[in-house]
Amino acid sequence: MPLKRRFAVVTDSTADLPDEWRDRYGIEVVPLKVLFGAETFRDRVDMTDVEFFRRLASATKLPTTSAPSPGEFAEVYQRLAKDYESCISIHIGAQLSATAEAARVGAQSVDGLTVNVIDSETVTMPMAFLCRTAAECESLEEATAAVTERVPKCRVLALLDTLRYIEMGGRVSRAQAMIGTMLDLKPLLLVADREIKPVDRVRTRARAIPRMVEHFRGDLPVEHVAVVHAQAPDEAAQIAAGLRKELPDYEITIGEIGCVLGTHTGPKALGLVYVKK
Amino acid sequence: MDGPLFKQALLGSLSWLAANHEEVNRLNVFPVPDGDTGTNMLLTLQSAVEDIKESNAAEVSKIAKLASHGSLMGARGNSGVILSQIFRGFARAVEGKSSLTPRELAAAFEEAANAAYRAVNKPTEGTILTVAREAGRAATAAAASPEASVPSVIAAAAAGARDAVLKTPSQLQILRDAGVVDAGGFGLQIILEGMLKSVEESAFAVSTHPAARSQPSQVALDLPEGGWGYCTEFLIEGSALDVEIIRDQIEALGNSVLVVGEPELVKVHVHTDDPTRVITLAGGYGKVLKLNVGDMSTQHKRILESEAASGRPTRPNGVGLVSVVAGKGLVEIFRGLGVDAIVEGGQTMNPSTQDMLVAIESVPYQEVVLLPNNRNVILAAKQVTGLTEKKVHIVETRSVPEGVAAVVAFRPERSGAENVAAMKDEAERVQTIEVTHAVRDTRSNGLKVKKGDVIGLINEKLEFAGTDYAEVVNKALGKLGPDSYELVTVYRGEDASEDELASLQSAIQSSFPGLEVEVQQGGQQHYPFILSVE
Repeated sequence: MPLKRRFAVVTDSTADLPDEWRDRYGIEVVPLKVLFGAETFRDRVDMTDVEFFRRLASATKLPTTSAPSPGEFAEVYQRLAKDYESCISIHIGAQLSATAEAARVGAQSVDGLTVNVIDSETVTMPMAFLCRTAAECESLEEATAAVTERVPKCRVLALLDTLRYIEMGGRVSRAQAMIGTMLDLKPLLLVADREIKPVDRVRTRARAIPRMVEHFRGDLPVEHVAVVHAQAPDEAAQIAAGLRKELPDYEITIGEIGCVLGTHTGPKALGLVYVKK
Repeated sequence: MDGPLFKQALLGSLSWLAANHEEVNRLNVFPVPDGDTGTNMLLTLQSAVEDIKESNAAEVSKIAKLASHGSLMGARGNSGVILSQIFRGFARAVEGKSSLTPRELAAAFEEAANAAYRAVNKPTEGTILTVAREAGRAATAAAASPEASVPSVIAAAAAGARDAVLKTPSQLQILRDAGVVDAGGFGLQIILEGMLKSVEESAFAVSTHPAARSQPSQVALDLPEGGWGYCTEFLIEGSALDVEIIRDQIEALGNSVLVVGEPELVKVHVHTDDPTRVITLAGGYGKVLKLNVGDMSTQHKRILESEAASGRPTRPNGVGLVSVVAGKGLVEIFRGLGVDAIVEGGQTMNPSTQDMLVAIESVPYQEVVLLPNNRNVILAAKQVTGLTEKKVHIVETRSVPEGVAAVVAFRPERSGAENVAAMKDEAERVQTIEVTHAVRDTRSNGLKVKKGDVIGLINEKLEFAGTDYAEVVNKALGKLGPDSYELVTVYRGEDASEDELASLQSAIQSSFPGLEVEVQQGGQQHYPFILSVE
């Protein structure tokens, strides 16, 4: 694919960027890491999602995750400096991960490439939407402005099957989610405004899904919307089918939650992710 | 009838009800271990009389007002609440009067009954309401006689009540089936008889219900009094004790203070949250004897807990949650879901209006949602709204599953009114199955039940009887139609064993493979299993 842009687009693996978008727009993806004890795996490079969730289910000790190192970012930027003058590097929210900070530090050690690091304040496919928006721009300035404007409008509505994983990862406490230790409740969380907020808690999954869609409706109109899932393709397809009927003008992509994010959501998580207008 | 005579009458009714409340308890229609009507009425009456004991008011209106206020604060259970409304109506009718003619007394009885009718949404005949009305009518008829006296009017009221009580089975099918008279009505009859006994210890023969009466006793004096904290009683032995000074100092440390005696021996009674301070103070005057400290909250099995001080983040909507619930596990479940204060109580021990009021006042929010979680608590809960400056919403949850569903629907960023609407919706959506043992033989809802049988109630209605839990639960689930539901939550009670739980669980799973079954340790009494179906 001939280069039309003078700037590169970089993101990280938590964008859950569909492969097809990555190839079409020439987006560079830097992997975060999953650590099962002493074993380290690069997200979506060394391990497939299917393998990961299988292993997660049987793990006695939950894995941990880590950001790419500044050096890893520097390597990527160094490589890009050969073909580009500049780059926009869009990363998982700084409230969730040190990735954007690592990118910033890594960029400082690279000469000959202007790097605009963007803290997306979000995670999963809203980042992919931001990357696409950037990739469709003519210049780095235009891309930076377009992305910066959209950052506060990104939303992730996440329906977790259990609070166990996100609690272990320290991202949300039961008290915050207003979920006691006893009942098996399905928490519905919203990632917005640099926070993870509990939106709702529902007793059963079958009732939680329409509740999630209802919350989404309250945020219409949106620029883009996608459905993401962690090993729950059928339910994701159902949600997407319902949304396509309701919003025929939207392309509704189904994305898969990768290993790093999956470590925190746990299996069977579903998400409605969108960029508000 | 003046103040002192009315006081005497009420004290008489209290000791007569104290002697007979167990008999009232035995009349409970439902063969389930229910909120006991006799106990509820007794505790309500005790609270009504609480302040009167220490009053020397000459005016009947003042005594009636104290009784009205006290009964309202201590009202427990449905009959207790209705009784409090009877006192309220009576107090209104005698407002401003220092004494009553027989005719005025009869009119006050009638007005008391009217007030009770007004207080109930859908008055049912054949209950305490009917008995109150018939007592009022009989009193009015007797007052018309030229020889009418206060005792004759009360005698007529008591007789009218008795006749009405005997007729209650003809008015209510459930009473007829169970072969009993109405318990609340019978309780009121006893109260009127007690009044009569004390105003005229005459030859009037107090009626006996066909069931054997227990022996009159001093029960009333031994029972815990209303309120919370510690009921602290002792004697101070010393010399030149100044009763007035001791009383003043004790009064600063509690309420319901009674300090009487002589320079050598003083008796102290106080309800306090800090008995140690009271005793230390008393010790400074002389030797403390016959010390008796009762923790009224545990005596009432209603430990009030509030997390107000535990540093939880305050809610954006400024709405607090208060829930009535009993059982260690259930208390934890409700607390874990965000309930700020728990009023311990429910099926077997209905909390009083006062208990709920205290809990509401203890939470750091001006707007509070109260969940009664039991049909028999709802009416007492509703009385709270008029007693506090806080805005109180009652979501009328009739069972633990309804309560859990309601709490789960609570959202801290949503307004009180929006939350209440959502909580009601959720509570209505969930189905409740309660499993217990029949406490006696009965017929109810077309079912013949033997004492000890396992019985299953769907949404508080007796539907199935059998010999084991799994059988009864599966019948109940079958009746609900398991295809419409996805999740069954089993709350295991104190009396159910691990084996019984395991066999219930596997029975549900093999009969209804489409249902997900979740088990929780509820720890509730009397109900080995409570199931939530949603």
